[in-house]
Amino acid sequence: MKKTLPLKVSISGVRGIIGESLTPQIAARFASAFGTYLGPGQVLVGQDTRPSGTMLKKAVLSGLLATGCQPVEVGVLPIPTILFLTHEKQARGAVVVTASHNPPEWNGLKFIGAEGLYLRRSQVEEFLDIFHQGEFTFVAAERIKSPLQEKNAGELHLEKILSRLKVKAIRGRGFRVVADCANGAGATLLPQLLRELGCEALLINTDLSGHFAHQSEPVPENLGELCRRVKEFGADLGLAQDADADRLALVDEKGRALGEDLTLALAVAHVLGKKRDPVAVNLSASMAIDDLAARYRVPVIRTRIGEINVVEAMLDEGAVIGGEGNGGVIWPEIHPCRDSLTAAGLVLEMLAESQKPLSVLAAEFKKYHLLKDKMDCPAELAFRAVVELRRRYHSEKISTLDGLKISWPDSWVHLRPSNTEPIIRLLAESRSAVRSRRLIERFKKEIKSIIRKLA
Amino acid sequence: MKLLKLNLSGVRGIVGQTITPELVIDFASAFGTMLPAGTVLVGRDSRKSGLMVQEGAVAALLSTGHEVRNLGICPTPVIQFLVRQQRAAGAIAITAGHNPAEWNALNFINSQGTYLNEFQGSELLDIYHLGRFAHQKLKKSPAVINELNPEEVYFSWLSQKLRTEEIARARFKVVADPCNGAGAGLVNKFFSLLGCELVAVNNEPSGYFPHDPEPRPRNAGEVASLVRATGANLGFLLNSDASRVSLVTETGETLSEEYTLPVVAGYYLQQQPGPVITSLSTSRMIEAVAEKYGVPVIRTRVGQSALIQVMLQEDGALAGEGSGGLAFRNFQPAFDGFAVMGLVLEAMAVQQKKLSELVKVIPRYHIVKDKIVCPPHRLHSLVAETRKLYPRAEVNSLDGLHVSLKDAWVHIRASSTEPLIRIIAESQSAARAQLEVDKVVAFLNRLLG
Repeated sequence: MKKTLPLKVSISGVRGIIGESLTPQIAARFASAFGTYLGPGQVLVGQDTRPSGTMLKKAVLSGLLATGCQPVEVGVLPIPTILFLTHEKQARGAVVVTASHNPPEWNGLKFIGAEGLYLRRSQVEEFLDIFHQGEFTFVAAERIKSPLQEKNAGELHLEKILSRLKVKAIRGRGFRVVADCANGAGATLLPQLLRELGCEALLINTDLSGHFAHQSEPVPENLGELCRRVKEFGADLGLAQDADADRLALVDEKGRALGEDLTLALAVAHVLGKKRDPVAVNLSASMAIDDLAARYRVPVIRTRIGEINVVEAMLDEGAVIGGEGNGGVIWPEIHPCRDSLTAAGLVLEMLAESQKPLSVLAAEFKKYHLLKDKMDCPAELAFRAVVELRRRYHSEKISTLDGLKISWPDSWVHLRPSNTEPIIRLLAESRSAVRSRRLIERFKKEIKSIIRKLA
Repeated sequence: MKLLKLNLSGVRGIVGQTITPELVIDFASAFGTMLPAGTVLVGRDSRKSGLMVQEGAVAALLSTGHEVRNLGICPTPVIQFLVRQQRAAGAIAITAGHNPAEWNALNFINSQGTYLNEFQGSELLDIYHLGRFAHQKLKKSPAVINELNPEEVYFSWLSQKLRTEEIARARFKVVADPCNGAGAGLVNKFFSLLGCELVAVNNEPSGYFPHDPEPRPRNAGEVASLVRATGANLGFLLNSDASRVSLVTETGETLSEEYTLPVVAGYYLQQQPGPVITSLSTSRMIEAVAEKYGVPVIRTRVGQSALIQVMLQEDGALAGEGSGGLAFRNFQPAFDGFAVMGLVLEAMAVQQKKLSELVKVIPRYHIVKDKIVCPPHRLHSLVAETRKLYPRAEVNSLDGLHVSLKDAWVHIRASSTEPLIRIIAESQSAARAQLEVDKVVAFLNRLLG
């Protein structure tokens, strides 16, 4: 069988392997389709630090120029900063050359619409129709514009964050912080944010030359160096960004990685303490969020997986805080998107105001154990297996919003066929790690037997 | 109908119709696949579509693993010079030369600084059609280096090649019209190096063309009136990439672009004797000049690529054609508008003659040019049909049909840049030349229905 090339087109854009599936031709076609979809106007173009970024960016510029758009090059910046700037500068949209946390041989394009929001599902469908039909509205030569270059556009984002935090209180504490930028785009702004907040910061992995220091997902197994440095430096906390700086994980003052889901719980606790309004999180976020919402008597809206789904629910329901359990904190006060810079600011403000060490603040949420796993399963069988499980568990408390989530009084399991890979993702949470593991194993076994029967 | 023309030296079309980002990237990827590893230069004329094309071309070259030196808006002869000077693997010149503003083109230049030869051109097309490009994994990105003022080293080389002091001593006043193309602005530097006083028009590289960027009498009205008004010694018109020149005399006479070759050859062959390479479509005027110096004239297919290859093979002293593009053996194997302007001034300075005097010694011929729009798939068969008009005449079919008659010649050929048949006839009598063109046009129109 011919080897299939991994080019993944999904709601969040396109990703592929450079030199194999993601070529400048494809990038230019996507940019031409996007320019056709948006119509002539300003479009921001940003990138992460991958070595193939400049090549793809140039192909994108060509496609945007040909469709009459005026690209505004903002260079290497965190994704949330580009989302924020798209809104701030009233651009038609933005294209970001990034493959988020995929390995370095990958790259991709993310498409951002007006107001700095990722495209909604319906918008993605319209845009992809244009791409697939291949009918692009190229403008006549005399209507082609010249690109603009914006240096230091990120400062606007920092200004906005600082204007919404209790800067004086944070500065007064003079926190010692170790920050791991994973050699990603976060290194362009996090050091300056910490400086403005009066922190004494030790920065690691701030190299923007495009070589990831470690696997860039901010999960505990990738944060060994950060944990060690926090102890050596006697820091109050450690901050770990992912490569495009939308997610944040924390390390406490004892040098222990807290797990990504804790970042959201802390941010929700802090913001609800000041303002009682709804919270929106996806189906996979910890039960700690429900406990917090109950304490402050505000509703929790649960959404499908995917940042744009949470953002839409937040905007629709007037949520004051929300996000994802993977360290993606959304505080619409700054901009409705996952933002590690905003998350870092909220956590520092919480530490400053509570006068408690991070390990103590975190302890409250330590009673839950959220485990993640996945199993191989052909896409077609995965969906049928989930349908069968829905039938078997219909009398339990279930949600079929995205895959299948079954909830019990103090535990749940969430089973979700991946959109992009032939796997099923399994998440389980309970009050003990052993029980969570047992839940996952039980459903793995059950899915396997269903697949055997189906196949 | 969508216009896209492929020829040996590149690909040319109308922006947004056929010159699209994807086509640009495909061709530049094919070129990058063909080239050995190394640096590739990229420059463009001033057209508004230039950056769109350039970004696509640079993306493709990076993808095939080549370091890119971006020369920005830069005349093609400067790009060609820098390829050799910097030992680059090749270059892409983004310019549609004399075509109107809605056109653009990729012109591919090899490591010798010349347009691709026949073999390289067909290799490029094979790779393009096959569509398998050597996209690299880019674990480390090749650099993109922006070169500021790339013309400086070129001008310092050129001013050493020319008899700069003698030109300066003559204190010429010149009018120049770079048509807001790649030569705009640079003419100031160039003529000040030669100690000339410059009156320039259309001298902003804005890409807005006040007239078609084709140096010929039809577009020379502004220059002619300025020459007369300022009492200048002569006037120059350039195309959009400064590779072709036409002349206006001190009396304001707008010379046909056919005159550029014999005027310059009349001086240059004296310094550098050797064969003259020209195309089948170029005026007979050059024969008289060559005869005077006892050197042969070698006729080739039309176009810079063909002329330069023959010039290199035959050790030609110069190569040039009736479009006003000339290359010189001891300069560089490229049509170079600055070298042409410099040598015209040098001829006037050294021989202490006015331009009209240099023109006067050239026998007068009358050249008549016409063209017929023709569907691309019938271009070559219709040209071949015209053979029937001349059953007994001496013909040369190197490039279309070239017919030598007793008192005239006529050349019928498919354009390599547009879907046109060009008909050119020349005779010492204007009426005679017109008659021959009319005969062919009428014949072709009948065939086209």
